[in-house]
Amino acid sequence: MQYALLAYAPPEDTDRATRPIPGSLAALLDRPDVTGWARLHAEESATTLRNDDGRMLLTDGPFIDSKEYLAGLFLIEADNLDGALAIAEELLQETRPGVAIEVRPILDGRFRGA
Amino acid sequence: MSRSRCGPSSTDASVVLDAVFRGQWGRVLATLVGILGDIELAEDAAAEAFAIAAERWPRDGEPANPTGWLITTARNRAIDQLRRQQVLAAKTTLLARDLEAGPQPPEALMDDAATIPDERLELIFTCCHPALALEAQVALTLRTLGGLSTDEIALAFLVPFETMSKRLTRAKHKIRDAGIPFAVPPDHQLPDRLAAVLAVVYLIFNQGWAGGRVDLAAEAIHLGRALADLMPDEPEVLALLALMLLHDARNAARLRDGQVVPLDDQDRTLWDTWQIDEGRALLQRAMTRQRTGPYLVQAAIADLHLYQPRDWRQIAALYETLARQTGSPIVEMNRAIAVAEIDGPEAGLAILDRLDLDHYRYFHSTRASLLRRARRHSEAHHAYRRALDLAQTEPEQRFLQDRLAETAPSVPSQPGCANT
Repeated sequence: MQYALLAYAPPEDTDRATRPIPGSLAALLDRPDVTGWARLHAEESATTLRNDDGRMLLTDGPFIDSKEYLAGLFLIEADNLDGALAIAEELLQETRPGVAIEVRPILDGRFRGA
Repeated sequence: MSRSRCGPSSTDASVVLDAVFRGQWGRVLATLVGILGDIELAEDAAAEAFAIAAERWPRDGEPANPTGWLITTARNRAIDQLRRQQVLAAKTTLLARDLEAGPQPPEALMDDAATIPDERLELIFTCCHPALALEAQVALTLRTLGGLSTDEIALAFLVPFETMSKRLTRAKHKIRDAGIPFAVPPDHQLPDRLAAVLAVVYLIFNQGWAGGRVDLAAEAIHLGRALADLMPDEPEVLALLALMLLHDARNAARLRDGQVVPLDDQDRTLWDTWQIDEGRALLQRAMTRQRTGPYLVQAAIADLHLYQPRDWRQIAALYETLARQTGSPIVEMNRAIAVAEIDGPEAGLAILDRLDLDHYRYFHSTRASLLRRARRHSEAHHAYRRALDLAQTEPEQRFLQDRLAETAPSVPSQPGCANT
């Protein structure tokens, strides 16, 4: 079985980009059963794209949780936010109305094939 | 009001530099963002360069190529800072080359002024990117392209300094962290993205007008001119500048003794004919391009409003076109005014009754004015009362108070006294 572990954090004052990952945590991330990980930029960097009956609505900020549930995640590579949004829109075109994708830049991470 | 346009590090900047600053800030900053890849870093470096200029130019004279001097000086400062911070790896190859070569004397760029790329378009498309909230787009555009200080922007939008400062910082961080591109969008995205840029400029202009802050209107026109220079073939860009110039040309006649003066009562000798001519010339240029966008229609309407007597049929027809393009109830409201001029106030009121604009202050003053002309005085009185509740500026309030008094029942009925 494969699992996705989703980490939630309280708001923080310092810029997380400038803070290194603690050594003890880095050791865990190197374990062979951790097949990949990503540290995300703070939620202020988020952009949300929503499928509103076929129209794609773009808003500044994170996806605000309501009755929707977290259904999946994609890891993508793009030159910039416009590239990322274009891929998100393609994915969203194939989803049901009401689905939203929050686009968040990855600060650092490691991935390998499943 | 004194303007400190360079930000915190140059509050003592000489007034001599004001004109240079106004003309050069956006240009210098855009080039620096292109080189450094970061707005905050570019802003700090540009502010430092302008501060150095403020100190040296009055003493040594202005250099032959002020733009080149400012850019080179700012770039040198940024290189120094980056070296100190040792965060060189992530920066652009251009900068990496510059870093190897080290700081250059400002004179090095002086001879090739024409080769300094003008990257203000890239900067404005970055600042007006739809992944930023509209209020952030507006603030950032005024800060980066217009060179307004955080203080000035906070004042103009009636928010505390800290709020505006946070808004700007957050926007700059989002651009950096989320990778909002510093680029003019590709053709298939250009119409939407250009519409966003024009909306920001027009919003700045209207904030200046509605709030009686001429400064912001001038700022918007300044931005509009820059856009028209950079995109001379985009009819909507030319039309927006024409629209703003034609509106702004009447600015001196809009108020008399602190009172709003309706267009027909305005002293036309106070209109800025030079600006009207410029606006009309731009409108002509925009109309030859065979594409009709909402700013072109609005500019054509603004132009028609300047003729005496006004051609209300043409105005009403253009509002109809605009309503189709935008679906805006405010446009429908304006069409109602034109229709009332052609077919009488009741015809205009019939259109107004279909609109859902209860929150909009001008809806109530418009409705009140038509009701008054239809001799429905007590309804007019109520509508003026509602407009007054929503009015935001003193001249508006004074104007509405006068109308309110005029429509007040002339002899208040005395309950209980009818039979005596």
